[in-house]
Amino acid sequence: MKPCNANKTCWNCPAAMLKGNVDFRACGQSKEKKRQLSEEKQVMIECSRRKELGHFEPTITFEQCPEWELNENYNLYMLKNMRVMILGLDGYLGWALALKLGKLGFKVSGIDNYWRRDCVMEKGAHTVVPIQRMTERLRAAKEVLGIDINFRKMDILDRPKLKEFLEETKPEAIIHYAECPSAPYSMVDVDHAVKVQENNVLGTLGLLWLIKEVVPESCLIKLGTMGEYGAPLTGRPIFEGIFPANATLKWDDREWSLGGELTPRDPVSFYHVSKVQDTFNCYEACKYWWLRSYDVMQGVIYGVHTEEVAADPRLRTRLDMDEWFGTVVNRFVTQSILGMPLTIYGEGEQLRGFIALDDAMQCMVRLISSPPEAGQYDVVNQVSGLIRVKNLAETVANVAKDFGINTKIQRVENPRVEADKHPLEVISTKLPADLGFNASITFDAEIRKMFELLTQPEIKARIEEKKHAVMPKTRWDGVKQESESFETYDPGTKNLEDGHKGVLHTK
Amino acid sequence: MGKTVIIGLDGVPYHLIDNLSNKGVMPNFKNLKDKGIFKEMESAIPEISSVSWSSIITGVNPAEHGIFGFMDMIPGTYTMSFPNFNSIKAPAFWQTMDGTHAIINVPSTYPAKPMNGFHVAGFVALDLENAVYPQKYIPMLEELNYRIDVDSEKGHSSKELFFKDLHRTLDARQNTALQLWDETKWDTFMFVITGTDRIGHFLWDAYEDENHEHHQNFLDYFKRVDEVVGSITNKMSDEDSLIMISDHGMGLSETNVIVNAVLKNNGFLELNDAERQNHNHIKANSKAFALDPGRIYLNKEGKYPKGTVKKEDEEQILKDLTSTFENLEKDGKKVIKKIFRKEEVYSGPHLEQAPDLILLSNKGFNLRGNLTKTEIFDKDIFTGMHTQEDAFLFVKTPKSIELPKNPKVTDVFPIINKINGDT
Repeated sequence: MKPCNANKTCWNCPAAMLKGNVDFRACGQSKEKKRQLSEEKQVMIECSRRKELGHFEPTITFEQCPEWELNENYNLYMLKNMRVMILGLDGYLGWALALKLGKLGFKVSGIDNYWRRDCVMEKGAHTVVPIQRMTERLRAAKEVLGIDINFRKMDILDRPKLKEFLEETKPEAIIHYAECPSAPYSMVDVDHAVKVQENNVLGTLGLLWLIKEVVPESCLIKLGTMGEYGAPLTGRPIFEGIFPANATLKWDDREWSLGGELTPRDPVSFYHVSKVQDTFNCYEACKYWWLRSYDVMQGVIYGVHTEEVAADPRLRTRLDMDEWFGTVVNRFVTQSILGMPLTIYGEGEQLRGFIALDDAMQCMVRLISSPPEAGQYDVVNQVSGLIRVKNLAETVANVAKDFGINTKIQRVENPRVEADKHPLEVISTKLPADLGFNASITFDAEIRKMFELLTQPEIKARIEEKKHAVMPKTRWDGVKQESESFETYDPGTKNLEDGHKGVLHTK
Repeated sequence: MGKTVIIGLDGVPYHLIDNLSNKGVMPNFKNLKDKGIFKEMESAIPEISSVSWSSIITGVNPAEHGIFGFMDMIPGTYTMSFPNFNSIKAPAFWQTMDGTHAIINVPSTYPAKPMNGFHVAGFVALDLENAVYPQKYIPMLEELNYRIDVDSEKGHSSKELFFKDLHRTLDARQNTALQLWDETKWDTFMFVITGTDRIGHFLWDAYEDENHEHHQNFLDYFKRVDEVVGSITNKMSDEDSLIMISDHGMGLSETNVIVNAVLKNNGFLELNDAERQNHNHIKANSKAFALDPGRIYLNKEGKYPKGTVKKEDEEQILKDLTSTFENLEKDGKKVIKKIFRKEEVYSGPHLEQAPDLILLSNKGFNLRGNLTKTEIFDKDIFTGMHTQEDAFLFVKTPKSIELPKNPKVTDVFPIINKINGDT
């Protein structure tokens, strides 16, 4: 099958630098530099990699261009030695992606201010999978995988320093993982809420201005979240950020097209609000300055495994179990290993989109290699499956059995303000249909891998050491108390067929 | 020893400058005209600024300098490239002639290259930084609000703003020229005004129609152009020589002729469906395609990725194309005046790159290389189009030199050479 990005052209390529617009009918050049789509006016580009071509129209396809080489494993054209900057490189995703990209031949640079490490420490927790100091991580990446990573300790809010680093590295793609990813953290108190919004919103806004100034051709791939959309009780489908062309709004016997407009957002925490604000800032920046961006609405991430992090204990990526930074599957597995019941909120009927770490990394490689056109803000829903939280708990409990662990499930008061029961219909067609993503990790397989790793004595001891951090204490209503239990039950004793079923469209 | 001054007026036909100087709109030129030789000059084929100015400054034809249009294709591909000064295969006079040269706003000389003197490139020049040599002059140009070109978008959005921009650009260019005249040392001074072409494209109807709302504005602009010319020529001494030229003429555009639509409708060209059409979507069985304005290329096997025209079939296809275009009519009027084969008009090492056929249209028919349109004839907002036969040449020199009877753009270089005393 022809690689999915074979027909993409210089319009999509970050090496194509816009040089100007010319209207040869009037022998006139326009003062404005715009990526106009008018056939009557010529867009002139220069290739930063193939200067010998001079100025030309952006029509060379990836398949025709020698700078884009076919990677047969991915069946994907990849830009030779593509320069990628990862913001938040020390994090759960940032580190795994740095290694994945480095292994594939990308030139990786990145920053991190270790805020995540600090926050988890603030909670009195730690990553259950031990991770090394950055100098050691970088050394191991070089020794084991032969990867050079150009890392700087830096805060995304330190714009002068970040600008200098962008000028030095001239990234062709920027992966933005440098946001605080925790809803509960943003709900602790006013200081935490402000800190999250300051880092996320102002960090992203500043980044957009820097991209405009220094690397306007670069593709910003920003981590969003499926949580931006909320879970509409009407069951209307969750489109990929933007309404499809044939969507309409009907009211008062009249009808309007919604095609191309941003879909409604219904954030469920001050963290989610910060992500929504980022979405608008990115959307506007693409419109005003002809930047290009993917917003990656990621489902709940889980897992420990990628080929690269598993290559050496020093290369492992972090895994958090605490109520602030542990995602639900990761927490369930640690709770199970601790012999605690798996805590589900309310009825546990919440439907969520999920994706395993390695699948998410595969998606990122595909997104990096298929940039949107300049001026285009695009959104992908990055999920590989939908599952109800209570069904998820059953799956984890079932796998636990194979490791000799009997696990119960406990319903507790929901500390969040959200619907316990709701329908969910998610459209996620761009990654599988347009970008060649093929989810290869099943829940069962990845959860098994997690148990294999997390039951190792050293890691198990680390989990036990921080047992106190796992139960939810941060409530959306601000009351300082742990959620109380409604009931504890054995897996297999509840009817799992009732209630809403998630619908995921991938074609 | 006298110096040489060359003033270019882009896109100004012989008859316009003759007419406006006789009418009193351009008194400075009127005064000059009586003291020198004023002739019609043949433009390049095709009559495109980039081709013509390249011939003017190098003295050679496109098969030697390699510029056949504003656009060409990257060899071996269907990707359109925009040749610039790096693409010119022959040296400009200021790169070979002795002396110091000040070169201002000559089209198709971007990016500026090291030379003995000062150079600011003209259209298409994508940024000032690479348009100027030596770069130490950039702050001065910025101080003078120097502008590479009129903003063509204004011609679309508002004619009032367009005029304002034309004047603003001309004022800045004049100030720059005068300051450089005084502050730099030079033996040859070349200065081109390009607003004359832009106004022609957008408002030729205003020139021809005395009742047009912008007729007076059109004349006023040329009055300003004449003042600028005067402000330079008044600084010259009797020992100095003056050459004034245009690169092509201008006339009323009545109908656009979409050459590729003719090719499509007659089975020479077929495109694959695509959201955004470009030449990559030419189907392999296509025999020919066109680039602006009337350049026709055979889709030759071995030359293009999907080329299928074999050498032995070329002659027949050229004949078929010739007869198709010879017979093309609108309202009983023949569209095409002349059809050249490349060997007839070009000679030199880059002949292979040249279009296989070059069409010259009859008056009022504006040839276009648009790829996607399917209708052969249309009209847009542009009322002026380039003309090939009526550029102008004016020479006033104390030296005794003979001008060709029917000068062409390639003759300008030898004239400069003779005046400068080189052989």
